[in-house]
Amino acid sequence: MNSLITIWANRRINPAALVLWGLAAAFVAYTFVSGGYLIAVLHFALIYTVFVTGLNIFMGFTGQVSFGHNAFAAISGYTSAVLTATYNWDPLPAGLLGLAGALTCALIVGYPVLRLRGHYLAMATLAIGLIVYEVAVQWDSVTKGYMGISGIAPLGIGRFTVVSDRALLIFLVIVAGLSLLSAAGIRRSRLGRAFVAIAGSEDAARALGIDVARYKLIAFLISAGYAAIAGTLFVHAVGFVSPEVFGLPMVVLSFTMLYVGGIGTIGGAALGAIVISALPESFRTFKDYQDLAYGAALIAILIYAPRGMASLPALWTKWRQRVAA
Amino acid sequence: MSVLRLDGITRRFGGLVALDDVSLTIPGKGLSAVIGPNGAGKTTLFNVISGFMPPSAGRVHFDGADITGLPPETIASRRLIRTFQLVQLFESLTVLENVKVGCHLHTRGGLLAALLPTRAARAEEAAVDAEARHLLDETGLGAQAETLAAVLPYGQKRLLEITRALAARPKLLLLDEPAAGLNRQETDTLATLLRSIVARDTAILLIEHDMSLVMQVADNIAVLDFGRLIATGSPDEVRRNPDVIAAYLGTDEAAHV
Amino acid sequence: MFDLVAQSIISGIGVGAIYGLIGIGFCVIYNASGIVNFAQGAFVMLGGMLTQGAMARLGLPLPLAAILAIALVAGSGIVLERIVVRPLWNRGSTMFVMILATLAAQIVIERITLIVGGDQPRTLPVFTDLPPLRIFGFAVNFQFLWIVGCSALIIVLLGLFFSSTKTGKAMRACSINRDAAALQGIPVSRMLALAFAISAALGAVAGILITPTQYTAFNVGVPFAISGFIAAIVGGFGRPLGAFAGGILLGVAQALAIVYLGAASKNVAALSILLLFLFVRPTGILGSAK
Repeated sequence: MNSLITIWANRRINPAALVLWGLAAAFVAYTFVSGGYLIAVLHFALIYTVFVTGLNIFMGFTGQVSFGHNAFAAISGYTSAVLTATYNWDPLPAGLLGLAGALTCALIVGYPVLRLRGHYLAMATLAIGLIVYEVAVQWDSVTKGYMGISGIAPLGIGRFTVVSDRALLIFLVIVAGLSLLSAAGIRRSRLGRAFVAIAGSEDAARALGIDVARYKLIAFLISAGYAAIAGTLFVHAVGFVSPEVFGLPMVVLSFTMLYVGGIGTIGGAALGAIVISALPESFRTFKDYQDLAYGAALIAILIYAPRGMASLPALWTKWRQRVAA
Repeated sequence: MSVLRLDGITRRFGGLVALDDVSLTIPGKGLSAVIGPNGAGKTTLFNVISGFMPPSAGRVHFDGADITGLPPETIASRRLIRTFQLVQLFESLTVLENVKVGCHLHTRGGLLAALLPTRAARAEEAAVDAEARHLLDETGLGAQAETLAAVLPYGQKRLLEITRALAARPKLLLLDEPAAGLNRQETDTLATLLRSIVARDTAILLIEHDMSLVMQVADNIAVLDFGRLIATGSPDEVRRNPDVIAAYLGTDEAAHV
Repeated sequence: MFDLVAQSIISGIGVGAIYGLIGIGFCVIYNASGIVNFAQGAFVMLGGMLTQGAMARLGLPLPLAAILAIALVAGSGIVLERIVVRPLWNRGSTMFVMILATLAAQIVIERITLIVGGDQPRTLPVFTDLPPLRIFGFAVNFQFLWIVGCSALIIVLLGLFFSSTKTGKAMRACSINRDAAALQGIPVSRMLALAFAISAALGAVAGILITPTQYTAFNVGVPFAISGFIAAIVGGFGRPLGAFAGGILLGVAQALAIVYLGAASKNVAALSILLLFLFVRPTGILGSAK
């Protein structure tokens, strides 16, 4: 975690964000002790941390756009769900096969999609997410359509399974931590610099010998890998999957988390995921209000705080000035 | 010994001929310059050489090989490195990181090195770090290493772009109007830097508007006018060439010579 | 089989005209601002839902309910522009942020509709309740004639608006060069609001016309928006007539896919056409291949 903190610090220290970090850590600790329904909220947040971290590599680092990463979560999640629930595989090989399947699909669609720009890229990725959704609905001999698949085995290797809520929480904290550390490692490496260079100026990157098309594809595959892992974690943690789990609202939710935390920053993914999951709305069982709240929150952030928590200090200063005047 | 040879380069945009049968050799040592009035086709020439734009006709040879039509990243990998007329920095990277990106071509680390810092991976990163800091010290940006590139003052942004290009270890460095927007003092610093680069056996080809800089630093000059090459030679020869005087120096630019 | 195919083509043209109207809605906003409004589907959904609501709850007759719905949806277009688009526009946000914000707006409108109106699908009565006409042996129902007739009328009216009225000409000037238009004293931002109103009204009309043949529900918006977007892309983005032709092509292709591949293939077929065009010919059928 040490390197994470230094990275956070190097990107200009943001007291507001540091306070929120502390609150997030305290929230995890409190939840672990108290247990109850908060644990489920945190499971959800940590799985989304993995998903959003991947999205951040493709969008925040590399400056590309994808509205369709839910497709890779769905492909991997469904593969793992079907293999474990219908064919009694172990979760580990099922999850690995799901990951491989998602990466293969990402490779096949990645090449043509990444040549597109602007709203064409946005729409193409959106279409990929919707196609996978349609397939999940229509292919009901395998996916059981809208009904979904239930009774999916919990995570585990062989006889060792992660059954209790607390054990799952520890496991997910470790996975989410690893995903953040690996993202931090990527950001500081030659690979990550190439990604950020592409976001800054594709022409300049090419003029320095960076094969932009290839690196965009690598970023796409890495982020699809995170999405796939998140998808598999989700179906095993919840024990259930349906097309709605990986629908369009998932995309909006993950963008809300990404923007709340601050797109392009490493810790933003975790911070955004925890804060958004912990919003009172998400405790309610009415899913309709949740999606409404996420959508509205995303619009508000885009308008008033486009850099997420990173813009809190600026807003704070502005507010103080207004009060003083 | 020439490093770059252009044979009959022509580039059309619809009916407009931006470059008309330009043939030119650039020596592998020293500082060459292409000058010409606005719209003479200088930047188009750079775009054709560096692979950002294919020529309509003609061939480009670099370092003994035909590079016509190769993509920019492949041309860059042969150590022909360019900068841009409008500075193109990676603004969300630090100054140091910008230069490290310049080291992309002679480093290898991929996803594995990013995730598992093995001894080899750390050694490569340390070497890149040292190389980048050394270059920044040479160009006088060492103190700004940890600053975000976006917040540098304009003159230093220009310097950083050149430093970053040097990190790619060019055999030939193409500089597109490096003095544009610089004040007199900054231009002098730039001239010194360019001479020191040339002294280290890196050839430079620059496009420039600032005639005083060109006359001060260039070993040889080519003059473009309406896409055609109208003169080549040493600064003195070009200055005396009647075609050049008619086409270019006869205008108010002559006052700067 | 031939009869079935021909009959499908006729119904495909009807649905395609609807896609075309939605596609024109995309073009109107895009031309005025360069924005691709991903909330376009919400207007279509609201058109059908509000008309149904006005008939069921206020007891209005269909024509009045439809007019009320169109006015309300046009108003919602202006609200969307004021609340979501304008602040981002003024700040010079990237196109991606604009897409994201309008997509979020789509979800918000959808969910509000769900909360207020419930998740039950609704429908509208057909406009003219007579048995289908027989033309050359093919059954042509009156709703088809309404759709084609209204679309044609709308296209003519839009054409007249853009070519003959001062406001329409000003909007066209904005689409050619926004900065120059602003220098000419054209209130560019008001044009943006107007573009959203027109676009929303087009979506509402499309939603009202199609609902009697299908159904409407809170979540029909996104598929319609995608279809309209495909229509716009096939026609070469930004060309209203191209978008209409693109919509008809899409409708027919979809109808044929249903005949040959089954009803389940409807959305996948449309999305595949979208990807095919994006990958092979993003400038549209008429545009020059890159």
